[in-house]
Amino acid sequence: MSESIPAADTLSRRTFFNGTAAVAGVGGLVLGAGGALAGTAAKAPAALSDVDLMAQRATLSYPFYGGHQAGIETPPQDHLVFTAFDVTALTAVELQLVLAKWSAAMAELTAGAPVGKIQPEREQGIPVDTGEATDMGPQGLTLTLGFGPSLFDERFGLEKFKPLNFADLPAMAGESLNPALMGGDLCIQACANDPQVAYHAVRNLARMARTAVRTKWTVLGFGRASAGAAQSTPRNLMGFKDGTRNASGGVDFDEHVWVGDEAGQPWMVGGSYLVARKIHMLIETWDEDPIGDQQSIFGRDKKQGAPLSGTAEHDVPDFHATVDGTPVIAADSHIALAAHENNNGLKILRRGYNFTDGLDSVGRLDAGLMFLSFQKSPEQFITLQRKLGSSDRLNEYIRHVGSGVFAVPAGIPAAGSYYGKEFFA
Amino acid sequence: MLSSSPRPFRSLAPALIAGAAVLTLSLSACGSAATTDTAAAAKGDAASVSNGAAQIAVSVEKVDGEDQCVPDFASAPAGPVTFTISNKDASAISEVELLSDKRILGERENVIPGLKAVSFTVTLAGGEYQLYCPGAASEYQPFTVTGSAASAAANGLSGLLKEGTAGYATYVSGQVDSLVLAVAALQGAVDSGDVAASQKAYAEARPFFERIEPVAESFPDLDPALDLRVADVEPGTEWTGFHPLEKDLFESKAITDSSKALAAGIVKNVATLKSLTAELEYQPEELANGASGLLEEVQSSKITGEEEAYSKLDLVDFAANIEGSQQAFEYLKPALKDIDATLTDQISAQFETVNTALESYKDADALGGFKAYTEELKKSDAAKLTALIQSLQAPLAKISEKVATV
Repeated sequence: MSESIPAADTLSRRTFFNGTAAVAGVGGLVLGAGGALAGTAAKAPAALSDVDLMAQRATLSYPFYGGHQAGIETPPQDHLVFTAFDVTALTAVELQLVLAKWSAAMAELTAGAPVGKIQPEREQGIPVDTGEATDMGPQGLTLTLGFGPSLFDERFGLEKFKPLNFADLPAMAGESLNPALMGGDLCIQACANDPQVAYHAVRNLARMARTAVRTKWTVLGFGRASAGAAQSTPRNLMGFKDGTRNASGGVDFDEHVWVGDEAGQPWMVGGSYLVARKIHMLIETWDEDPIGDQQSIFGRDKKQGAPLSGTAEHDVPDFHATVDGTPVIAADSHIALAAHENNNGLKILRRGYNFTDGLDSVGRLDAGLMFLSFQKSPEQFITLQRKLGSSDRLNEYIRHVGSGVFAVPAGIPAAGSYYGKEFFA
Repeated sequence: MLSSSPRPFRSLAPALIAGAAVLTLSLSACGSAATTDTAAAAKGDAASVSNGAAQIAVSVEKVDGEDQCVPDFASAPAGPVTFTISNKDASAISEVELLSDKRILGERENVIPGLKAVSFTVTLAGGEYQLYCPGAASEYQPFTVTGSAASAAANGLSGLLKEGTAGYATYVSGQVDSLVLAVAALQGAVDSGDVAASQKAYAEARPFFERIEPVAESFPDLDPALDLRVADVEPGTEWTGFHPLEKDLFESKAITDSSKALAAGIVKNVATLKSLTAELEYQPEELANGASGLLEEVQSSKITGEEEAYSKLDLVDFAANIEGSQQAFEYLKPALKDIDATLTDQISAQFETVNTALESYKDADALGGFKAYTEELKKSDAAKLTALIQSLQAPLAKISEKVATV
């Protein structure tokens, strides 16, 4: 599949983001800007058949090398596999090997290539690549690597590479964290338009590092719950549009997402901080909550996603609007508490996914939001969450059960280097 | 290990430290060995000899957009040859091997962009070889050795492997002989009607079987007759061997006529096992697969607590499986060291880690010398044990291919 159809990676990522809808007729296929199609399919100049659309999604690939890691500014793909790892290796050399192997393998995987022989010639050969993503194409796969605060303890002598003020998130209201779903020395965020491709990537990365790294916790997300450039706003499992006012565009990214010199580490310039929160929604009770209460909790209407002070989704909320002296958007509604207007202009890039894990230990649906956000400093998240955790009316229906914060290094500029190379000079 | 072990482990180096040191050395051995003129095809003339070995620099790099392995020379004089490999920017390639037909004579893994050059040295007789770079656009590069050195590494390797398989055959015979005695003692205890003595004899017999389980499994009728678990019994067929006796001894704690018949059946089948294994010869890859197979056993039936469901002796079997696996590995080790020293050290280190972890489960007062594998212990420790064994099996599974004789 990936051989027969020219890959969409010939389209530059920049074109994609500017949403200029570059349409190139290649090999009889109209290649639009991949994921952007979800929002703009109706405007496409020629109708694509389902088969063409599938092929286009399969061949979509994002460049692995660049100043920033992919999977942050990249418009969210449909599926997520988030995994945190603990390093079990005892020496820095073993850690170095893992990071070098992973970097090389990530370059192959995101191009839709296997990470080694699927079917070795020799009878006694053990397949290197596990094979379940064979011929499926890159599917827009991005692999984003992060380092947890614990990686910079004394085990590997990396103390001096620890970014300034980088520490585990403080305890906050509204948490009932499960120790089995917390932290990690390393994390990988795998996103793709096909769940099997994302799973294959993480499975193989974990496998090639098995002697040095142990999987700590993992979450499979089945639907994006935030919008990137040129994407329509998806809904969370509560049925509301999520991420309407997400950080977007180059200015927002420079101001709120990409790290500059603040971290005091050259390897973080162009990087970001990833906050991961597994949020269990109390779905059954939410489902029985009257619509008026649901809407007032979010501060938006359910179908349109319009702020209660407006009529369309992207209307700017008016937090001062009142009816009979009562604010139209309650001060303790979710959007009022999270709005940048009410937080000194503070924004974060939300990039979460809906998840479900079957039933929980007491027989409720175990489902919710795998909240992922990228920001210039973990403080941005902490400030917002402190506020939400203490007064958000949504808290009655959600529990934060998993948590981690990770320093996401800048991208690798070109082949011949690897994540964390600076640590081992 | 178990006090009943007839053969002590060969002394292992403080493997973790040794493994890391070797790795460091190989990573930093040859910082600037890559050729500069690598895009050109390999030169036809033979490599020059320095430090007593012909020097071949293999550059792994992108050539016209494709990942390739580029040796600076395609030929060397017979004798020791050192291959020094560095990966400039070819992320699809992570290992380089030297092959004679399909046989791996030497190899380096972790040939990764950004890491320092690595090298291996092999002694080659005159003839045609192949440089094999899995993942390269051209995976096989012919490599010619001129002249005829007397002792070729390939011959040395097969000698080492032969010694290893012969040694392993002796090990198996020793275990089977001990098993014969142990099951005779078990039968004696059962016949006497002494439940406690029978339980003890059962616990003492099991490890001899578990250490060589892959050999017993190679006889398709014998293994089920001896070691079938209740869940695997076909409806309508008779359940025989260790485990129905285990049920009598540890669950009902009563010895009946059928218990005695079971013990007699075990003795008879073990005698058959002895006659079948007496003249067996093994291939190196069989040792390797057996070593890995034992770790599969540990994961699929010991850590789950299925193997010794009534006696809770799973950790006794666990330790015996590990010991059998390590013995097979140790017999291959002299040859494997020549083929892939880094991997050999890595496996040694992982065995050491597992054995150290097993120490904490020892209990001299318990049957078989290990703690009973209760539901509580399983709940608290199974995930940890699984991770330990997986970290060992991942590298161990690779050796079969490296020692294979075809």
